[in-house]
Amino acid sequence: MITGNLKTSYRADEQVLNNRWKRGFVLAAIAGLAAIPLFGNNYIVLIACQMGIMLIAVTGVNVVIGYTGLMSLGHAAFVAIGAYATVIFHNAAGGVIPESLLTLVAIPFAVVVSALAGIIVGLPSLRVKGLYLAVATLSANFIVIFLIEEQLFAPWTGGMNGINTPTANLLGWELSTRRELFWLIAVLAVLALLAAQNLFRTRVGRAFIAIRDRDYSAEILGISLYRYKLMSFAISAAYCGLAGALFAYFYARILPEQFDLHLSLMLVAAIIVGGMGRTMGAVYGVIIIVMVPEVIKVVFGALAGGGAELAMIRAPIQEIAFGALIVGFLLFEPFGINQIIDRALRALNRWPFARG
Amino acid sequence: MRLNRRHFLAGSAAATATLGAPALLRAQPSEYVIASSLPLTGPFATAGQMVAPALRMFEALVNEDGGIGGVPIRVTAEDSGYVPANALANYQRALATEPNLIMYFGDSTGFMKLVAPELRGENARLMGSTSFASELSDPANNPYQYLPGPSYEDQFDILLQQIADEGGSTVAFIFSNTEFGRDPIAHGRARAEELGLRVVLEEATREQGADIPTHVTQLAQSGAEFCILQGYVTGVWPQLIGGARQFGLPTRFMGTFWGMENAIADRVTAEAGPILDGYAGVMPYKYFYDPERGPVYERYATFQKTAFAGTPLENYMPTWGLQALLSLTIGVEALRKVADKGLELSADNAAEALSELRDWDTGGFFGVPVTMEANKIGTGRVYQYSAETRLFTPTSDWFTV
Amino acid sequence: MGQFLQFTINGLMSGAIYALIAVGLVSVFKATRVVNFAHGYLIMFGAYFYFTFAVLVPQMPFAPEWLQSWRPEWMLAMRADLPMFSPMAAVLDWMANLPRILLGLAGALVCNALLGLLIERALMRPLMGQSVFAMIMLTVGLISILSGAAQLIWTSDAEFVPALAPNTPIRFEMFGANIFLFGADLANMAIALLIFLGIVAMVRYTKSGVAIRATAEDQSTAYSMGISVPTVFSRAWVLASTTGAIAGAILATRNGISPALGLFGFSVLAIVLMGGLDSYLGVFIAAMAVGVLEALTQWKLGGEWAGIVPYVAVLIVILIRPHGLLGSKEIERI
Repeated sequence: MITGNLKTSYRADEQVLNNRWKRGFVLAAIAGLAAIPLFGNNYIVLIACQMGIMLIAVTGVNVVIGYTGLMSLGHAAFVAIGAYATVIFHNAAGGVIPESLLTLVAIPFAVVVSALAGIIVGLPSLRVKGLYLAVATLSANFIVIFLIEEQLFAPWTGGMNGINTPTANLLGWELSTRRELFWLIAVLAVLALLAAQNLFRTRVGRAFIAIRDRDYSAEILGISLYRYKLMSFAISAAYCGLAGALFAYFYARILPEQFDLHLSLMLVAAIIVGGMGRTMGAVYGVIIIVMVPEVIKVVFGALAGGGAELAMIRAPIQEIAFGALIVGFLLFEPFGINQIIDRALRALNRWPFARG
Repeated sequence: MRLNRRHFLAGSAAATATLGAPALLRAQPSEYVIASSLPLTGPFATAGQMVAPALRMFEALVNEDGGIGGVPIRVTAEDSGYVPANALANYQRALATEPNLIMYFGDSTGFMKLVAPELRGENARLMGSTSFASELSDPANNPYQYLPGPSYEDQFDILLQQIADEGGSTVAFIFSNTEFGRDPIAHGRARAEELGLRVVLEEATREQGADIPTHVTQLAQSGAEFCILQGYVTGVWPQLIGGARQFGLPTRFMGTFWGMENAIADRVTAEAGPILDGYAGVMPYKYFYDPERGPVYERYATFQKTAFAGTPLENYMPTWGLQALLSLTIGVEALRKVADKGLELSADNAAEALSELRDWDTGGFFGVPVTMEANKIGTGRVYQYSAETRLFTPTSDWFTV
Repeated sequence: MGQFLQFTINGLMSGAIYALIAVGLVSVFKATRVVNFAHGYLIMFGAYFYFTFAVLVPQMPFAPEWLQSWRPEWMLAMRADLPMFSPMAAVLDWMANLPRILLGLAGALVCNALLGLLIERALMRPLMGQSVFAMIMLTVGLISILSGAAQLIWTSDAEFVPALAPNTPIRFEMFGANIFLFGADLANMAIALLIFLGIVAMVRYTKSGVAIRATAEDQSTAYSMGISVPTVFSRAWVLASTTGAIAGAILATRNGISPALGLFGFSVLAIVLMGGLDSYLGVFIAAMAVGVLEALTQWKLGGEWAGIVPYVAVLIVILIRPHGLLGSKEIERI
């Protein structure tokens, strides 16, 4: 039974992973991730890649919704901007920068472009919040997708037809298969999570939490709302931009409609299900949001055996399940799976003396 | 030399190679899989739901004929909701889970374009689809995708030619704001200019739930003599025509393959009166009720009578189903050619076999023998709907572009 | 000029429908402080209910003949010597459909009211007093549930439904250009405006309207004054879902019926925010403005641009006036 965390130095107290359980968990998780491309079959690698990309984006959404308390229903726009920035950068700088370095420059470029877009979209957050901000960001999502689809920009974005994406190339190592790409996705996803965990022991992260808990009080305490709200949007957009860049490398072609409102809702749904304002919440949420449709698909596949009659009702059922997850968690477990797991761990820790 | 593991493996591999590795590598699987994505939900669900049973029939009939090289086939259908990304996910899943996947049937222009760059190396499969998008007829870049008829651009060419021949001078394009709808518009604009036709209106609408009154007034204001509709299946186009008729606009409407289904035209006539009378368009195939249907249609008809008794498919196969059936027939035909040569059923071999389909008698789909040229079959004819007989009847002979 | 007039009128007609949809959103917000992101999907359900009772039920074997198509002798006689697309023929065709139109409307109203009540009781009431975020996301989750359920119940097919009013074409010349109008559209506009005005009057002058306004002002005070707040909530939801049903029926006759109707909700959401969440007048102005702007954009820039007009408009308005055109400013205490 752990009764407390004894720290004998400030250094120990300030660590990102401040006890050995956390360190052990992270190491075990990394080992588990490494096992996927080494032993998993194509299907597992495919799903794992999708989860990795989504995890980075959800972590970003968690920064702005979960930690800063700003409502956003438009984060798919940043994923889109990241993805298109990557492709456009490759096409524009293809001749200038050597192939083997291109990816290493393109990813930071996409992240920066998304962060800048995040600042612009975040501007309304200075004036409005809550519902108004939700609709403002939702509008921004519609507008960004519209601009990408617009004929005027089609020479760069490919318009509605979408655009072929480049292959990632790390110093001459061409990541042409999903298995190879998984390494890149997994490394970046783990780094992104650790960075998010780290963020909230810094001044910036604490300011975010203060804003979430009561923005006017935070302002009175000397936190510049202007600065930190925009910073929150920028950081979360940067995460989404990174996810977008990986999205572009993962798929051979991207279409604007892949980044529509539905993706935004999925990102928000993931943190609701996983647990808002908790680093691991994003992980649990992504696993559920990606796995539930897959499980339904597999079950229906087994029942239908390739027939169309049951396949016809699969999509509506997946949709209902998606909605039911959001509604169910909001009604019965507003802090998400993270809360359930915390409770279980606490019970385990105290067992047999107390439960819950 | 000590016989360590690596040497042993290398030695045995060499030995198998000399002893007849091809036979071993081509160990016959118990079945081949043809997977598909269909729009069983979403805006074009009506079409998808009618195509699905056709695929089942196709599986049964191919297996009756001994499958491909003696191996039976299995056809699976998954829902895409007409979302290209969903169809792509279906394809990726099929690749990852079905080791004997030899062919895929896609369900939208968007999907076919989205998947095209993925079809490389071990991810490549022969791929037919519901789409007649021009970009897919490009064997140099897209060897694995093919069209079971003329492209939308070809169909526009035919219609514009028809308009020019009839002495028309102005034409309007109304299309859904999807890749499917937009595909032939730029080409059509250029072609109209060549023919001396003035394009007075290019109107993008939603693919379903479009704002009909606004679009109809746009059309009325433009004063177009002819209007070509593109990118719709069951909805929008009949309402547009109905609205125009109510205003008494003299505009003549034309459509491409997906707007030419007899069952939909009949339903519109039953619901809204004879508004579609005189509506014309390009159809690559014979309708199922054609008096001279060939042996293949007869075979389908016999099968449908028993297998689909009590459903709309009992006595009729919509053009959408015919298109899917022909698309799969082409693929299986190519794969059979590969199997007959004793080669591996790889996408590359199949793509090569596609171009061998020359002067091929489809047994009913087309009235003339057809040729696979640049991964498409540029054959079709113009049909016109009559509200009295409730049938599309041909107004031109078969031609090949 | 003539064309400008044409598209302005088109815009006003769609603006009236926006206003009708918006009135439901505003009423629910006034009473319960919840903005229903799934309102568009309630409308879609209304449209499908209308389709069920106006098209499917009359086709059933037990339905009497006259329900499907009411054609007494005198009507047949009149119809016989009229040309296909004359105005009088349109009126007669509409009268033949009248029984099923009325059944469709009645069915849609009742079913949608029940649906609204169900949502309010099962989902919204447990969340009373929770954060804005939870409320919004709950309705977002509802979107998926409703659209999935609609696809399960009705195959997602674009179907024809009978128009609410005779669809006589109206055609006249003004400023040297032909103006084309659909009779049914004018009637729809009239219906939408009448209902809008009726609801505004109801909220202003009737007892239950006063209860709604009192609840909007301060829930706990209203409670202590003897107003049954839960009843007010239910009433507001019923009001929203029934106006939604009529809007759905209108949209179904205009644009064909399909799950895409749900997307209207998002445009209307933008309109409502633009006008100010709790101001009927502001929302009315915003709805008309967006309708006209959309039509003019459609005219000058093409269909794809029209779709984002409400979103651009709401962003501009929110940046300048954070609480919309006529919305009242929220006062926050720390």
